[in-house]
Amino acid sequence: MSTATAVMRKPWVRWAVIAIVVVLAIVLPLVLPEFANTTLARIGVFAVAVLGLNVVMGYTGQVSLGQIFFLGLGAYVTAYGVQQDWNIVLVFVLACLIPAVVGLLVALAAARLGGLAIAMVTIALPIVGVPLAKRLSEFTGGSQGLSARFTAAPEWTGLYDDQWQLYIVLLIAGISFLLTRNLVRGKYGRAFAIVKGNEAVAGSMGISPYRYKVLAFTVASLLGGVSGFLYMVVIQYTSPETLSFGHSITLLASMVIGGAGSILGSLLGGAYYVLTPQLTNLIDPGLTAVLQGAILLIVLFVLPGGLVSLPRLFRRRRGREQGGGAAAAKAAASATAVPSTSAPDGADVTTHPPTESEERRQDT
Amino acid sequence: MGTFIQLVIDGLSSGSIYAALALAIVLVNQATGLINFAQGGMAVLSAYIAWQLTAWSVPLLLAILISIAASFVIGAIVERFLIRKFEGGDPDTAVVVTIGLLTLITGICAWIWSYNNKLFPSLFPLETISIAGAVVSVRSIGTILAIVAIMVLLQLLFLGTKLGLALRAVAINPQSAAFSGMPVGRLLMVGWGLAASLGAVAGALVAPQLTLTPNMMDSALVYALAAVIIGGLTSPIGVVIAAWLIGVLENLAAVYVPLIGHDLKIAVPFIMIFVVLIVRPQGLFGRKAVVRV
Repeated sequence: MSTATAVMRKPWVRWAVIAIVVVLAIVLPLVLPEFANTTLARIGVFAVAVLGLNVVMGYTGQVSLGQIFFLGLGAYVTAYGVQQDWNIVLVFVLACLIPAVVGLLVALAAARLGGLAIAMVTIALPIVGVPLAKRLSEFTGGSQGLSARFTAAPEWTGLYDDQWQLYIVLLIAGISFLLTRNLVRGKYGRAFAIVKGNEAVAGSMGISPYRYKVLAFTVASLLGGVSGFLYMVVIQYTSPETLSFGHSITLLASMVIGGAGSILGSLLGGAYYVLTPQLTNLIDPGLTAVLQGAILLIVLFVLPGGLVSLPRLFRRRRGREQGGGAAAAKAAASATAVPSTSAPDGADVTTHPPTESEERRQDT
Repeated sequence: MGTFIQLVIDGLSSGSIYAALALAIVLVNQATGLINFAQGGMAVLSAYIAWQLTAWSVPLLLAILISIAASFVIGAIVERFLIRKFEGGDPDTAVVVTIGLLTLITGICAWIWSYNNKLFPSLFPLETISIAGAVVSVRSIGTILAIVAIMVLLQLLFLGTKLGLALRAVAINPQSAAFSGMPVGRLLMVGWGLAASLGAVAGALVAPQLTLTPNMMDSALVYALAAVIIGGLTSPIGVVIAAWLIGVLENLAAVYVPLIGHDLKIAVPFIMIFVVLIVRPQGLFGRKAVVRV
């Protein structure tokens, strides 16, 4: 990795990688078939939800079982706002703010009890949320749910709807990922990490565990609201079923399987959330839950870091197999992270998966 | 007045079921320091086992007893081969493990027995008797008495037998227990087995009311967790009282507070949690945890 890292450190490589990602994001929706576009857009939706869960759970170490509630809340706010013909920017802001405020209120109470209380309180959110959504039928349309179509492509673009939707998702999800990445890598991220590591130590360093837990939970709820807005962009329909407990569990499983405490892991988690049901349905729809539970347990057993730690695992194993000689020298070079000693060697490593190694480097 | 008494007794009856599940959670937490979110799922599996036995025309009481025994074995196996690896590690990971277990068990139940509701025969006659002008079902009273009897038995086990003493020792300090020659691993298996059996009792008692489905215990789990928070993780008696309180209050709120009603009564424990957490964060009967650095 280190030869790759060394090359990645050069500014022009980083800019080239960013440029490639941006170009891909612009070109891909135009050339992919409709099914691939909608699937990608749905992955984006749930990747943002998983990202929020990652902030509170992966980075701050507080188990939240209620993330889907905030997605549902954001979706309902969006649907209601669109039906009332509010300005779409206002709708988006409300879809972020209302879940964030609700999350803040819940966290203010839940974070008071240390340890697993947040898990035990947040489990109630989806379970109370479903009957609540049915009850407030004035706003939520009851069991039938709400649909809102506001993401038809404008005529001047000449795009198909699915391409337009994917662009919206890419833009908003991209910004969410970028901002969250900055948050968890900066001063707040370090505070989250120490709260996760040891609350007593955090307190002795002048970092209030309570305050940072509440902050992390609020950010998670806000990202849940964002993903709820995106959910309405792509799926255009929400019902009480959207925020059912089972989905919340799957969201949590996706986060762990993608990789806790990792930005790229959130993306993988979103992909897992969307793609696994499609795959297990091909095998046997009745087995979906069994397979999901089994996959989660197997991942926890053999790959506690999630899918994102897979390349690292392979690298370590390969390093162990190549015992001596030139291979050892190479491994040693990569272990000590000597910068840019072997540019040609590193170049062929990086050109292969540029985006992936870029993001992984940022996580570690 | 008649309605009121009826509501209170029905509330105590459903509270007893939450209490059984909550006690199972406390039992596991005391022994292994983690919250088992799969406790409800395991109880559903036990109820399905009992249902399957009755479908094979085993008498109901015998079927329930067999399912309780089977649950003990299942609980012990789960502890040995799944939870053991994560004990003493990161508690968050352990919680995720139990959630994976919940998904897996619910999935297995749905796969074998489908999501369709199954009628579970009641252990108690469906008649009603009249107490002080209130019409009370025999089932409610039977449920309350059954749970009280089990709690007395548990108390006797923990305070009056050598096994109970060993279990308590392991719960307080596994390392010292191991040093004094106790088979800690086997005792933890016993603890999980007991918890699973307790869940099996709760499952068999609640199944006739709710009809058997793979997700039957999801809301009961929420009530039980609420009881655990409100009562305090360290206090079994507090947990039982909290569970009864929740059962009674939610029943009363469903009828007397139109804003809540029957569909939203599951919000009652949630509101109670809020109040308790703000006033008394360690729970009504819990001890404040002191962390040594």
